[in-house]
Amino acid sequence: MYHFNFAPVLASWPDLLAGIETTLVLSASAMAIGLAVSIVLAAAKTSGFWALRFVVDAYVELIRNTPFLVQIFFIYFGLPSLGLRLTPTSAALLALVVNFSAYATEIIRAGIESIHHGQIEAGRALGLSGVQVFLYIVLKPALRNVYPAMTSQFIYLMLTSSVVSAISAGDLAAAGNDIQSRTFASFEVYIVVTLIYLVMSSAFSAIFSAIERAVFNYPVSR
Amino acid sequence: MKSVARRLALIMGLGLILGIAAQPTQAQSLAELKARGSLKVGMLVDFPPFGIINTDNKPDGYDADVARALADNLGLKLDLVAVTGPNRIPYLLSGQIDVLVASLGITPERAEKVTFSKPYAGIRTAVIGTAGTDFSTPDKLIGKRVGLARASTQDIAFTKVAKEGTLIQRFDDDASAVQALLSGQVDAIGCSNVVVDQILKVAPGRFEEKFPLSQQVQGIAVRPGSTEFLGAVDKFLVELKTSGKLNDISKKWLGAPAAEFVLKTN
Repeated sequence: MYHFNFAPVLASWPDLLAGIETTLVLSASAMAIGLAVSIVLAAAKTSGFWALRFVVDAYVELIRNTPFLVQIFFIYFGLPSLGLRLTPTSAALLALVVNFSAYATEIIRAGIESIHHGQIEAGRALGLSGVQVFLYIVLKPALRNVYPAMTSQFIYLMLTSSVVSAISAGDLAAAGNDIQSRTFASFEVYIVVTLIYLVMSSAFSAIFSAIERAVFNYPVSR
Repeated sequence: MKSVARRLALIMGLGLILGIAAQPTQAQSLAELKARGSLKVGMLVDFPPFGIINTDNKPDGYDADVARALADNLGLKLDLVAVTGPNRIPYLLSGQIDVLVASLGITPERAEKVTFSKPYAGIRTAVIGTAGTDFSTPDKLIGKRVGLARASTQDIAFTKVAKEGTLIQRFDDDASAVQALLSGQVDAIGCSNVVVDQILKVAPGRFEEKFPLSQQVQGIAVRPGSTEFLGAVDKFLVELKTSGKLNDISKKWLGAPAAEFVLKTN
């Protein structure tokens, strides 16, 4: 029978707290930046210019068909030879944004394509500018339509961020590994870390539901 | 009937344990070995690349090669006995083997139980960084990025001497730490002498060793009081080192020549 001893793990709470902070800041920043990037890319892809569409397609295919670990190694270990040297945390943020945006671009593109062309024409007929049409008639309903898929992609982004410990970024997974190597209480460490990830995912889910109620709570006719 | 048999077995077992415990640790004489014609060497088989089981299901590795050379040198037939980390010293002290070539690190605690020869192998860890920079002491690394393989010997040793403000970056393995050094993502890394040799080979002139972290040497162990036998083992080791044979074994198993601190014969 295995004897659990959580004392050494809980005694390392400052390390865990620092790890939680890094994971939360990294994930939240990557979500915000990634959302902005993927809206621009989705707009570019649906703009009708074949060159833009080709570039975005190439990016999406490249990222979606390669492992995240390889992408993060490329950014952290490979880019310095091209003159771009990033700290582990910046490299982790860049890798998360690049990875997340590829998936989110396709989700938002699907949302944009779900908007009936008649609505856009109606907007133009009412005298709205092109920007106004895109923001209020295309983008907002599009995001509303794909919101559930986006939230699961956001949660997935936060869970994926556990990989960044491979380039020595000090996230929650790295903190867990450090504590584990000091205390040898690996089972206990991973139980605690798993629970923390679970709590963070649930918290993010709750926040996303609140955002949905606040932003997308209006009646639509189908 | 059954309970009697069990009790008998228990008494016999107890007797065996007491017998081993009570058995005086006898010194090993060379004459006894010559009369028997064979040398029973205890070695680990779960400690690559020092002790492994090869594809022919035989003990092999750095230790096996040294043991083979030792038996040849003494003109005896080699009899390798697989031991484990915890039971290797009891094996030697109870006389089931004659000598240990089992990656036994020379420590003061162990030297109270067994008698060690001169080192035949060793692992040293050190800080290595960009050539020309002054990282001669841990103080000079304040504000610098130092890569380490998480939970490795060098991690423990460096963390102990690191000054506040040193930017320690822990990677999952040596390969990632080395990659970080080569790509300039860290200013220095801690690693073992084997890895240092590899770095100096792939990137000649770019890096140099800055300061040592920890050093451990492994010795051949014999039972206490075996002065004559120990003398023969030490004489064998001097020959092994000066003839370059130990270097060959080191190159074969560790991919690098034996370090200077292992090779010195005094």
